[in-house]
Order: sequence, then C-alpha cells, then structure tokens
Amino acid sequence: MGLSSAKAAALLARDGPNALSPPKQTPEIVKFLKQMVGGFSILLWIGAILCWIAYGIQYSHDPSSSLDNVYLGVVLAVVVILTGMFAYYQEAKSTNIMATFSKMIPQQALVIRDAEKKTIPSEQLVVGDIVEIKGGDQIPADIRLLCSQGCKVDNSSLTGESEPQSRSCDCTHDNPLETKNIGFYSTTCLEGTATGMVINTGDRTVIGQIASLASGVGNEKTPIAIEIEHFVHIVAGVAVSLGITFFIIAVSMKYPVLDSIIFLIGIIVANVPEGLLATVTVSLSLTAKRMAKKNCLVKNLEAVETLGSTSIICSDKTGTLTQNRMTVAHLWFDNQIFMADTSEDHSNQTFDQSSGTWASLSRIITLCNRAEFKPGQESVPIMKKVVVGDASETALLKFSEVILGDVMEIRKRNRKIAEIPFNSTNKFQLSIHETDDPSDKRFLLVMKGAPERILEKCSSILINGQEQPLDDSTAEAFHTAYMELGGLGERVLGFCHLYLPADEFPETYSFDIDTMNFPTSNLCFVGLLSMIDPPRSTVPDAVTKCRSAGIKVIMVTGDHPITAKAIARSVGIISANSETVEDIAKRLNIAVEQVNKWDAKAAVVTGMELKDMNQEQLDEILANHSEIVFARTSPQQKLTIVEGCQRLGAVVAVTGDGVNDSPALKKADIGIAMGIAGSDAAKNAADMVLLDDNFASIVTGVEEGRLIFDNLKKTIAYTLTKNIAELCPFLIYITVGLPLPIGTITILFIDLGTDIIPSVALAYEKAESDIMNRKPRHKKKDRLVNTPLVFYSYLHIGLMQSLGAFVVYFTVYAQEGFRPSSLTGLRVEWENDNVNDLEDDYGQEWTRYQRQYLEWTGYTVFFVAIMVQQIADLIIRKTRRNSIFQQGLFRNKVIWVGIASQIIIALILSYGLGSVTALNFTMLRPQYWFVAVPYAVLIWVYDEVRKLLIRLYPGSWWDKNMYY
Amino acid sequence: MVIRKEKKSCGQVVEEWKEFVWNPRTHQFMGRTGTSWAFILLFYFIFYGFLTAMFTLTMWVMLQTVSDHTPKYQDRLATPGLMIRPKTENLDVIVNVSDTESWDQHVQKLNKFLEAYDDSVQAQKNDICRPGRYYEQPDNGVLNYPKRACQFNRTQLGDCSGIGDPTHYGYSTGQPCVFIKMNRVINFYAGANQSMNVTCAGKRDEDAENLGSFVMFPANGNIDLMYFPYYGKKFHVNYTQPLVAVKFLNVTPNVEVNVECRINAANIATDDERDKFAGRVAFRLRINKT
Repeated sequence: MGLSSAKAAALLARDGPNALSPPKQTPEIVKFLKQMVGGFSILLWIGAILCWIAYGIQYSHDPSSSLDNVYLGVVLAVVVILTGMFAYYQEAKSTNIMATFSKMIPQQALVIRDAEKKTIPSEQLVVGDIVEIKGGDQIPADIRLLCSQGCKVDNSSLTGESEPQSRSCDCTHDNPLETKNIGFYSTTCLEGTATGMVINTGDRTVIGQIASLASGVGNEKTPIAIEIEHFVHIVAGVAVSLGITFFIIAVSMKYPVLDSIIFLIGIIVANVPEGLLATVTVSLSLTAKRMAKKNCLVKNLEAVETLGSTSIICSDKTGTLTQNRMTVAHLWFDNQIFMADTSEDHSNQTFDQSSGTWASLSRIITLCNRAEFKPGQESVPIMKKVVVGDASETALLKFSEVILGDVMEIRKRNRKIAEIPFNSTNKFQLSIHETDDPSDKRFLLVMKGAPERILEKCSSILINGQEQPLDDSTAEAFHTAYMELGGLGERVLGFCHLYLPADEFPETYSFDIDTMNFPTSNLCFVGLLSMIDPPRSTVPDAVTKCRSAGIKVIMVTGDHPITAKAIARSVGIISANSETVEDIAKRLNIAVEQVNKWDAKAAVVTGMELKDMNQEQLDEILANHSEIVFARTSPQQKLTIVEGCQRLGAVVAVTGDGVNDSPALKKADIGIAMGIAGSDAAKNAADMVLLDDNFASIVTGVEEGRLIFDNLKKTIAYTLTKNIAELCPFLIYITVGLPLPIGTITILFIDLGTDIIPSVALAYEKAESDIMNRKPRHKKKDRLVNTPLVFYSYLHIGLMQSLGAFVVYFTVYAQEGFRPSSLTGLRVEWENDNVNDLEDDYGQEWTRYQRQYLEWTGYTVFFVAIMVQQIADLIIRKTRRNSIFQQGLFRNKVIWVGIASQIIIALILSYGLGSVTALNFTMLRPQYWFVAVPYAVLIWVYDEVRKLLIRLYPGSWWDKNMYY
Repeated sequence: MVIRKEKKSCGQVVEEWKEFVWNPRTHQFMGRTGTSWAFILLFYFIFYGFLTAMFTLTMWVMLQTVSDHTPKYQDRLATPGLMIRPKTENLDVIVNVSDTESWDQHVQKLNKFLEAYDDSVQAQKNDICRPGRYYEQPDNGVLNYPKRACQFNRTQLGDCSGIGDPTHYGYSTGQPCVFIKMNRVINFYAGANQSMNVTCAGKRDEDAENLGSFVMFPANGNIDLMYFPYYGKKFHVNYTQPLVAVKFLNVTPNVEVNVECRINAANIATDDERDKFAGRVAFRLRINKT
C-alpha cells in the first residue's frame, strides 16, 4: 500500500515540492534604480552633470574659481536621489501590505507510505501517493478518488460554483473539471471522507495552471501612469526645447559657452517641477488611505485613480453581488407564494404565520434537518453563527431559528427515532419523531426533498391546516408555483409529513431504516420552500450609482444562467424594464431566431455560446448590449471577456475571489479581489482588495478615484504655474542682461519648499459637483494635463505671476539706486568681480559684494513675490468651474495649513536663514512682502471671471479654451 | 494575448503631422480653424495689452516712490569700497619697463582720468573750501538746491600728477604711480569729523619686503573732510572725488607683489570678511625689468 519512502523521495526530487511557485519578483535594486531614472530624474541628472562640466571648464581656466556649481550639481543629485528614494519607499510600503496576504499556513496531509499512515507536510506529496481526506480538510493536491463516503467538496474557488459538489469514485465526464472522481488542489472537502491517489502536484495541478496563466498575463500600464508620463513628456519637451533654443541664442549672442551652460542649467531647473512627482505620490497614497478606511485596500498606488476612470466593471456573482450563503427566499403553502426576508439579518419576516399549514411546515423544517450550530456561539447573532451542515440545511436551520426560536430545544422535545439521510438516488430526506404533544402518542414522519419526488409520494395536501385530497387542480397549482420559483433561479425543496397511526405504530415500535418498515407514500404534502444566495442589500443601490456614473456592470459567473439572470435582475444589472432576446421571444411568442438581436437591451450569454463565438461576435455583444450577464464561464473565458472589453477601449475593473479569477484580475486594468472570501492567488493578482467583500465599496472607490483625478489636475496646474515665473527671469537675464532676478537654489526652495504642502493640500479638496453623475473619462480625450491647462497655467496665470514678481524685483533695485532703465545690459559689469566701483543712478559706487547682496535681496523678493502669488494660485485652483465662494473658502482646512506653511517657510528662509550666505537669502524689509499683492488679487479676480464665463456660456469658445 | 500598442509607421507619423498642420477636411491649421485662430489671437492681443498696461501702471506707481535726489535706501553702502586707477582687467598693474606698449595703455587711461583734475578746470568749476571740515550745503528751504564742489587740484598729486612728467607717472622708469579712490556714497560723512588717510602695505611679509619704499600724495595719504558729503550726481554736478596717489619707488623687479591699501577712518570698517573691498583694495604689482 502506498509508495515507499525511497520512491517518494525520488519522485519529489524529480517533480519538485507540491507547492505553487511564487510569481517572479523584480529585484529590489532594479526597482530602486528605476525610480532614479524615471520621470524628471533624467533631466535633473543632466542638470547636475552640466553643473559639474561647468565647474570643470571654470577650473581649467582658474583653479581658484568658486565651488558654487559643484554645490548646485550636488543639490540636484540629492534632490533626484531623495525623490527617488521617496517613491521607492512608497512603492515598497504598498507592496508590504500584500506580503502579509501571501503567507500561507503550512498544510498537512495524511498519506499512506510504506504501508502505514503518516502525516506529512503537503509540500512533500508526490504523484502516486495515496492520501486520505475528511470533511474540513483542504485537498492537498489534484487527486483521483479511489473510494469515497458521502464526500462533498467546495469547488467555488476554482469554478465559482457556490454549491457543494458531491464526489464519488466513478468517472462521469471526460472533462476533468466536470467529472466527479477528481478532487482539486486547494479546494476544501466539506463533509464525508475519501481516499485518493495524487495525480498532479504543484504547478501542474489545475490550480497551478491557472496561476501560471495569471502570471503569464502582462501588467498593463495604469491610466494614471500613462497620464503622468504624458505630462512629463510635455514638461520635459518644453524644458529641453527652451533650453536648447536659449543655449543657441546665448551662444549666438557671443556669450561664453560656460555662461550658456549655466543658463541651460537654470532653464532646466526652472522648468522641472522637482517636487511634483513626490506630491502626486503623496496625494495618491492619501487617497489610498482614505479608501482603505472605506474598505478598499489599494495594493498599487496608481490603481487608486484607475478605479475612477473605470468604464466597465466585470463582477463576479457569488460573494460579491450576493451574500454567498443560501437563504430561504420564498415559501409556498396554502396555494400561495410568500416572500421571506433575505436581507443580511433576516430580521423582518412578514409573511402570514397564522395558518395551521405554516405550523406543520415549520415543524418539518425544524425536524427534518441534520444541520446544527457549533457549540459556544450563544452571543453570536443567528445569521453569523457557524453551522455544521450543507448550505441548504444551514439556510433552513437559520430560517427556523429566527422565526421559531431555539431549534435545538424543539428538536429535543421531538425526539428523533429514526432517520434516512439525503442521498442522490432517493433525492429525499426522512426522519421519524416523537411529538412534543404528551396527549398525542402518534409518531410524526417528516420528509423533504426534490419537489416532484415529494409530490409523487403524497396523496393529500394541507390547506389552511386541513388535510385535503390531492386533486389535479392542486397539483397544477403546485407545478405553477414550482416553475415560478425555479424560474427565479432558486433551489426549491418540497416538504411533507404523516402522522403514523398509533395503533399500527405503538410507542414501542422499532423502526428499521433498511427495510423501511413504515409508509413512504400517501403522505400529506405541506409546502414548498425555495432558497437562493441572495444579493447583498447594498448592491442594487451601488449598481444604480454605477449606471448613473456611466459605468457598465457586467456579471460574469460560473453559475447557472437562470440563477445568474435572477440575481442580475434583482440587483439591477438587468434593469426591470429591459428584456433579453429570450424574453422578447417569449412575450411575442416567436422563435428566438426571429427576434432582432439588437432590440434587446440585455443579454445572457453562457460559456457554451461564448465558446462558439469569434472575436467580432463577442465585441458586437459587448458593444451593443448595455446589460450583459455571462453565465457558466470558465476562467479562460473570463479573460476573453476582459480582453474584449479592453478592445472596445474601456477601462475594465474585474472583481473576483477564486483562483479561477486571477488571470482575469491580472489582465484587468484594475483587479479587485475579495478580502474575506478571496483566495491568496486572487489577492496577489489584484490591484485592490475589498476588505468587506462588498460591491458597494467599489462605488466609493470609483468616487475617490474620480476625485483624485480632478484634484491631481488642480495640483499639476498649481505647480506648473510658477514654472513660468521661475523661467522668465532666466530668459530676461539672457536676452536683456538684467542682474539675475532669481537663483537656481532659490527656485529649488520654491519647488521643494513652499510649494509642497499646498499642492498636497489640493488632494483634500472636495468635489465640485456630483462626480458620480458624469461619464467616466475618455482615456484618450480627457487627459490629466490638457492643452487648456498648460496654456492657462503658463500663458495666463504664470505670466501674471512673472509680471508681479518683476515689479517687486524692479522695486528693490530702484529703491536701492538702480532704476529699471539702467539695469538693462548691466549684467556683464554687474557680475565682474574686479569692478568694485560700479556707479548707480545717483552716482554712488558699489563694490561687487554690495551688488551681490542686492542681487540676493532680489532673489529673495522674487521668491516672496512668487510665494505670495502662489497663495492666490492655490486658492483659485480649488475649483475649475465653480466660484471659490460656491466651493467654500474655508471648507478645506488643509489648504490653509498649506498657505500657513508657505508663509512660515518663507519667513524662516528670509529672517531665520537670511545670514547663511550659501542659501542666497537676505532679510527683507517688511513692505516688500506686499508689493505683489495687487497681482495676487488680479489672479484671483481674473480666474473668477474665467469661471463665471465658463458657467455662463457652457460649450462656448471660451469654455473650450479656458476649461482645463 | 492581444497586443494593444500599435507601432505607427514613419509614413503615418508624417501624415498625421501634415494633417495637424493643415487639415483640408475641417480647414484647420495647427488644430484650429481660421475663426478660432482669429479669436485666440484677438484674445491674447487684448489680454496681453491689458497686462502690459497693468505692468506699466504698477511700475509707474512704484517709480513714484523713488526720488531723483537721494536713493530711498542705502543700507548696502554703509562702508564705501576702495578702488585703484589705472583700472585693469584683473586688478593688477604690470609694467614691462622696456616694453612701452605694456604701460602706455595705463598712461593713456590715467591721462584721461586726471583731465578733470587739471587745476584750470578745477579753478573754473569748483570752490576753494576750508580744509578739515565737511562742506555741508543744506537745502535751506530750496528743494534740491544745486550743490557746489570743492577743488581737488591735479598738482596736489605731486610727482604723480603727471604734469610735465617725462617718466609718464613713473611707468617708464619702473616707479609707477597707482591712484587710490574711495567709492562715492551719498550723504556719507567719511571720517566722522576726524582726519583720515590711506595707508598701503604688502599683504604678506615677503610682499612687504618686495614692495620697497613708496611715497604718497597728498602727504600721508590724507583725504580731507571737505570733499564730503557727496550729494548725488544730479545735484552735485562737478563733484571731484579726492584721490591718493602712491608712487612705488623700488619694487623688487620681476616679482609679483600683493599690495593692500586701506583707509583709516573712524567710521569705515576695513575688516569685512565677505566684502574684500570694504574700505580697502588689494592689487597686484609687477615690474618687469630685463
């Protein structure tokens, strides 16, 4: 019996351990280096290298030349390395969250080796091993069953079917996924015992193949990554082309090459928003945090926004849309269908419970049931209690517990005498009880099972508590009810009973279940009860929200089409008034083929149909039906569906929990795994994890994603604006020859100092209008950084800022003795270290250092002027369309923290560090802080006018050119 | 797997560009129709016109705060700097005695520089002031009353005056004159009512040795108080800056000598670490003789 240890060891050596190989990891150092060269880093590296080259040239002319350029180069390099490290840290942090998910508890397997039973780690299983499994075990490898006793497995992680599947040792189907004698790795055995032989291990198991299918699916770039890349290209393009243009201009103006290189560095530094990418990361992670609070755990930061641009959600049914537990949905007795409350807590059972029939029916439900609550759960709410037993019995147990109270007590009072458990040949379950009525000495026989089987065994029916003969009309009524409930996709059970006559079956009568020495026909039919895995109560609302947000919700499930359609209808994926082709055919009473396919808004497509379709047909269905349900689909088909949606240009979100979902999760633009029910493979493949498994959480996620997209736009617009105010000084300096208005280091203090907190603060901005009432953004048309944004930031607000800053600059120079007219062309004399008696407009003479200090004062006021106008810029960026006063000036408190930070940093730089020469800041006269205020006011007023005109004339030329 | 990224061929890219520049179907030039271009140009014309006006206005308002007479702030000029003449590229006076051309340019510059100091010019334009006290000229109620200047005659520079000097300020003989001047600062009362003078010395010990002896004109390198205060070029038109000439008599030839001259005045600090020219001037002197 079993393999010998030696043989097993040999096989283990050949096939490797029985474990899924983990997905390939990018080495940390590669990840780190990627951050170092991504985005603007390359430009800044070029800047740094140019600095060193400039110093090299200086050094070769004059070894004693100042080290300023070396320092600047070092500063630039440090900036790149720090932002790179920051990005790397952020990425690593979000990856770490997931590391905890992927830890698997080591599994043990009971194996027969060397003819004795041994418990070994399941990793050491090899092909040919004989393993024993029992209820509650996870199946340790793909096994073929050799013998089984009432073995049932839960294949939901593999196929998505929520019902337990029975397993026997007969081969019932050629397809290994369908046949009954194969148990799959990682599925669980629910009840019974079985012995099987291992046929596949590790990556060669069915689940392993799916997992490798998932790792074979390449990761698409997230939409926000594409947008940021697009934005980096724009800014880098502007920087490089301006840099080169002015390098050429400078050289042709007979500037020395060294000076031209320094101009080039200045232009690059002024153009590159050094702090922006870090800001974007912070904004995204803030949103990720906010989403985590709302039960959306984001693995990949960029996925935060992806959810916002989602246009199609392919949702799994079981567990996501539904509660993933069988629940009594309808009852039929007294010729009437009653509806049961299927909400999460069952609290509201409103059907008529006064009838005598209900009393009988409830007794059957209670007694003819083997399920039991696990002990020690007294304080747990009924619906949350753990039950031993299969799904439908659990449903019945909880249903009766809610309505009747303590079921176990009732069962105790009605002692069970004999019992025949359910099996697939009988298709019924029977038990015989004493009654709790001391005066009634009769035994009660109760039976439940497949409705048609139960009806066969009955000759009478209970109506309003009275037994009546079962005639054709009542049978007809039964069939109608049965069909109706079945048509709702519900699993229907029939219930009947019989009081055994006391004379034939005295108290001492011994029942024998093998010989069946009691009647099993001419029973009294009591009623029907139907069960379904009901939708979560929050889902219909969430689906409606998705629809108004322009998001198409497609259901993709492994379940039966009827059930799938019923659930789709009840959650609104198929809306109340839309029909499928089949519905139309039925209504018009014509053949399905005659119906014009495109008249139907909804479609239910099964896996079998999907298999026969080519790509175009699938695309047609996806494009032409607004409400689609895919049923009976395989993991591969799920992938095909996702790809089809992506071909239509949609951003696809896929939800799933099983291993079977992982390829689709990976392929999707954003994969959403279930946190509670989800398998590790699904969580690994997903970009996001729903901690509460609730579809409704996706909607909040979408909202946050859309908001962050809007807010990033604002952040970028805010950050880009001052680039012009930083750039103009250099251009004027080169062409007009003014003393340099702002230094490179000073620019870095704006980009990485005063501007950082305000731009993050914009991430806290509330939405301007109901963002859930507009269409998802078009991937190609609604860009993060569009032409109006660039033009408005650069050529409108940016230019105003430059003018304002120049006014302050000229003020400082004029009040110290250099009027604007005499500044032009002064650059060469001004910067000559050997001219120590430069005459100003009053005839006074200045040494180089005196001029230098004045120049630094110029830097400082220019810096302060930009800062002051950036406050106005920050305020106007709060909204893109609404007036600031509609949005509320004080609603976003973080903005004010940002403004305070700007002012405080500037105060510290000017008054605190004003004496540190290397930083080129000086102490300013208080009045210089206010010179740019008129321009700040102008910026605000101008933007209000812009927004007003946009609101007044939507769709106009102004709207098109001014709305970013 | 479906490949979603399609590489565009080169021709397609050119086509797209062509269509962007001129799209015959929509009559769009660079993505805009004629009307759209007209609108946008008109808009920017008006918008930038407005901004120009705004800028001009604010600049005008700002310039109203600045007087023609005195600068609003002089905080940077608390300590006047010192400079030398002849003015050279790198603050060095190099004289190749045998090579006339090497020093002729210095001589030319000095001739020009000292023209304004000619006794005749001074006598014609400027007053004879009382030495040893400031020549204050209050406005006395008349706004910005033009100010008179005191005479500084070229002859006061003695051997360095260059008048009838065959040695060309000593450059032809290797005994060059270097002139020290102090930067003009408006309303600055140099010396704080005490006499002040300029002294020179070699920067380091070996420089002092190599420097040899020198004579100064006016004697002791004195600068008289009467040349202060300065009232600004607009109202103090003929102001003549006082000079101190230093004639180096026997500089060791063929050696570079670092010379530092500083002013000794009660209210002029000469030890500013950052400003190397505050109240002092350093220059290199080299006499090449064969």
